[in-house]
Amino acid sequence: MTPPIITPRGMRRRHFLGHMAATTLGIPAACFFANLRGAAAAAAAPGGKRPKSCILLWMSGGPSHLDIWDLKPDSERNGGPFKPIATSAPGVMISEHMPNVAKQMHHLNILRSLDSKEGNHDRGTYLMHTGYVPNPTVVHPGWGSTAAFEIGGRMEDFDLPHCVSINTPGQGAGFLGMSYTPFMVGDPNGQIANLAPPKDVDALRMNRRLQMLSRVENDFIKKRGAAPAVDHKAVYGKTIRMMNSKYKDIFKLDSEPDAVRELYGKHSFGSGCLLARRLVEQGVTYVEVAMGGWDTHADNFETLSTRLLPQLDQGMAALTADLADRGLLDSTLIVWMGEFGRTPRINPNAGRDHWPRCWSIVMGGAGMKSGQVVGATDKDGVDVADRPIGVMDMIATMTKAMGIGMDTQYTTPRGRPLKVVDDGKPIAELVG
Amino acid sequence: MPLLGGRFGRRPGAVRGVAALAAGLATVVASAALADDGPRAGPPESSGSAADPAGFIDPLLKAAWEEDGVKPAVPAGDEEYLRRAYLDVIGRIPTVAEAREFLTTKAPDKRARLIDQLLEHVDYPKNFATLWTNLLLGRSRQERNVDRDALTAWLRKQFAADRPWNETVYDLVTASGSNKENGAVNYTIAHLENEAIPLTSRSTRLFLGRQLQCVQCHDHPQNDWKQADFWGINAFYRGIKVEEVRKADASGLERVDHVELSDVPTGAFARFDRRNGMMGVAFPKFIDGRKVANPDKALRRVELGKLVVDPDGDMLAQAMVNRTWAHFMGKGFVNPVDDIGPHNPPALEPLFAKLTEEFHAGGYDVKQLIRWIAASAAYQASSLRPAKKEFPEDELFSVMALRSMSPEQLFDSLLTATAAHRPGGARDDAKRDRWMRQFLFTFGNDEDDETTSFQGTIPQSLMMMNGELMRDALSDKPGSFLTDALRQARRSRRPAAFMVDQLYMAALSRRPSNSEAQALVRYLESHADAMPFLQDLFWALLNSNEFVLIH
Repeated sequence: MTPPIITPRGMRRRHFLGHMAATTLGIPAACFFANLRGAAAAAAAPGGKRPKSCILLWMSGGPSHLDIWDLKPDSERNGGPFKPIATSAPGVMISEHMPNVAKQMHHLNILRSLDSKEGNHDRGTYLMHTGYVPNPTVVHPGWGSTAAFEIGGRMEDFDLPHCVSINTPGQGAGFLGMSYTPFMVGDPNGQIANLAPPKDVDALRMNRRLQMLSRVENDFIKKRGAAPAVDHKAVYGKTIRMMNSKYKDIFKLDSEPDAVRELYGKHSFGSGCLLARRLVEQGVTYVEVAMGGWDTHADNFETLSTRLLPQLDQGMAALTADLADRGLLDSTLIVWMGEFGRTPRINPNAGRDHWPRCWSIVMGGAGMKSGQVVGATDKDGVDVADRPIGVMDMIATMTKAMGIGMDTQYTTPRGRPLKVVDDGKPIAELVG
Repeated sequence: MPLLGGRFGRRPGAVRGVAALAAGLATVVASAALADDGPRAGPPESSGSAADPAGFIDPLLKAAWEEDGVKPAVPAGDEEYLRRAYLDVIGRIPTVAEAREFLTTKAPDKRARLIDQLLEHVDYPKNFATLWTNLLLGRSRQERNVDRDALTAWLRKQFAADRPWNETVYDLVTASGSNKENGAVNYTIAHLENEAIPLTSRSTRLFLGRQLQCVQCHDHPQNDWKQADFWGINAFYRGIKVEEVRKADASGLERVDHVELSDVPTGAFARFDRRNGMMGVAFPKFIDGRKVANPDKALRRVELGKLVVDPDGDMLAQAMVNRTWAHFMGKGFVNPVDDIGPHNPPALEPLFAKLTEEFHAGGYDVKQLIRWIAASAAYQASSLRPAKKEFPEDELFSVMALRSMSPEQLFDSLLTATAAHRPGGARDDAKRDRWMRQFLFTFGNDEDDETTSFQGTIPQSLMMMNGELMRDALSDKPGSFLTDALRQARRSRRPAAFMVDQLYMAALSRRPSNSEAQALVRYLESHADAMPFLQDLFWALLNSNEFVLIH
């Protein structure tokens, strides 16, 4: 039995129930350990084309865009000490502390005129992950969960989670349910805790436990049917598939050659990037790799040049090059961003503060045009000088690049319509 | 020396709390506005009586249901009510003995009595102190200068004594002195970094129910809060001194013994970046626009404390009522619970207003608030859905929402279920904290944001299915729950039936239905070695959504 595709047009109770029945009752109890499935659907979807994936490099805390992607050497007040260097993309300059990424810039684009309006970590994180400002009436699904639902949700027989978050819990799936909530890998250099049953529980015994579990909870679900009960069951189904899957070793990086590990870097960000590549290779739709420490209110330049940028440069460059080498870049969208940029003004602690008014993000791959800079800020970096880009424009661009319908719309639990792309225009220079 | 020392009346109708507080404030507040208020007259008219504590809630609920044509769920059965009351009030499921005691009692007012009993239980202040420590500090904060245990202990004392909420909050906002001796001090110490931005946003959210942090960088798009309003509150957090006091320890080495927090008058102001790139400055100003008369002569946190608990304001009461209602019902009148404001209209507005008014008039009595909520038709409703509804979301609290247990509730409940045979249970907070850390995540930013990967995720399922805690729970070693239960069962007349009954009671606080029991008993009676089967059954019960959810 394979789970049927759920309709993306509405998440009504019946669908939850149908989904639950399909994902859990049929599969795991009947065949725990009994059947290691063949290749994931990922490698060959209908039409022979690889389904698209997305890797988000998430810079938690708000990265200082002016010291990475949009340097202002001519601004006396705001420029800071870093020098721009040329890159593999003609005419595109980035920070001297990003020499390896500079060699990959022909694969990527810098968007220098994002205007996002939320300068609080929580709200900025929510906005950049969902495309929406927090709204008390609905919890918006993270865009990654939406992609996982639209692309991963259509795959048959896929044993890994469609949505994975490394070094961070990531954004929740809202009403799309726990099945599309990111599976968090807290430490990409570590093991997934509790993945194997205790030694005295063999397959037969695990089956008996699962059958008993079904018996105990079916009545409870039938009478209540509310999302948490259904979700709980669906997540158990997913969990059991993962325990049962031959892909569970995908999370162990020791099988990679040491040279590859060195190339990416063995720090949590580098290892996260490597794990992301491994997951995307198997067909996981959305992987977020987070790197923290970007909230540089003090000692911004010291922190960036000695710690943050060397790690970012190493991991991001290795990932981009590796995806390109393996022919995965055409089907994999890479996005680099944080919750906002940082102030042009350098504060008395040699830091920069929160700045959502005009800042930079980077994206490439998945068939986008590349090697470009879109938009510009003025000389001192305090205002958009050319081509303002809204967060919904960014979401529209990502949605289009992934081949997700631009008119995709859900019905929220309150019965209201919610668009994935609401009033945003894809950036023509990238996906036109 | 606490400003609001002394004990005030706490029972409903005893408005002396508010009056005394107002009077107490009047003596120290230069501002005439507060002094004018004076003592409030007379007990509130419609406050719930002891016999019918929710007297004023149900008519408002029923009116709303009628108006919307909502058919509420049937009243919850005793088993359902018992389990949620234990989890919500004292943070764990009942033991087998506690469950049996309640379920066999016939008294007509046994639910009200249960709530009274739970409010007097030693685990009530413990549970609420844990809850509020998590809210005040976050779950994962372990800084060297923050004495988390001292704050928890302080909170436990406030909840145990049912100290009026306005007094507790006043102390939290204004606390000074040693963080070891005055646990409340740790709240402020924990969030002072980054020019007290975290302290500003946490205080307005927790005590006033306002998400002022969203105007940190720009004016509010949907209401009239301005960027300067955030920084106006922030400016109260100036003139704060933190000193490490060192002492020689037993081995003669000098180390930090405690931290001393104090306030000094200051002329400082808050600076912030406006969206146009210019700098803004702000002096102390409360959300409602009131300013401090002489900001450079006053102790600013004391001034802020007075404004926060000002008896003329209703934000403090609103915030606590909404949060407590959400604690018991799964969601607040306003959601997110701390995002109250004109941009976010509440559900059941008349009830929210009435409950706020009663809480305020009744002297901010937290236990009384809990009694009111627990007696209401909303809290007494079953989680069984009445009829097929197209959209499961229920706006009017006509069905009890299903909620995931918090990590603390789950840990304590697992221990309760599997150590139910041991008198006093086996609570171990240090072990719980260690265990919980695997689900915690801190963002490490200037707002101290954190989250848990706990709410029904794959890692949680793996932990429940295969984790160490579950292995311990299913242990067949001498002295374990299962071996003890088995020994008891062998002494009973129908060992198999006894055993099945015992496992259901321990895990789900209910007896198995006939159909559930029959098959299991038959199986047990036909198998000589019962232990593996019992382990598997107990595993299934503890992994079931009926165990993991509050319903």
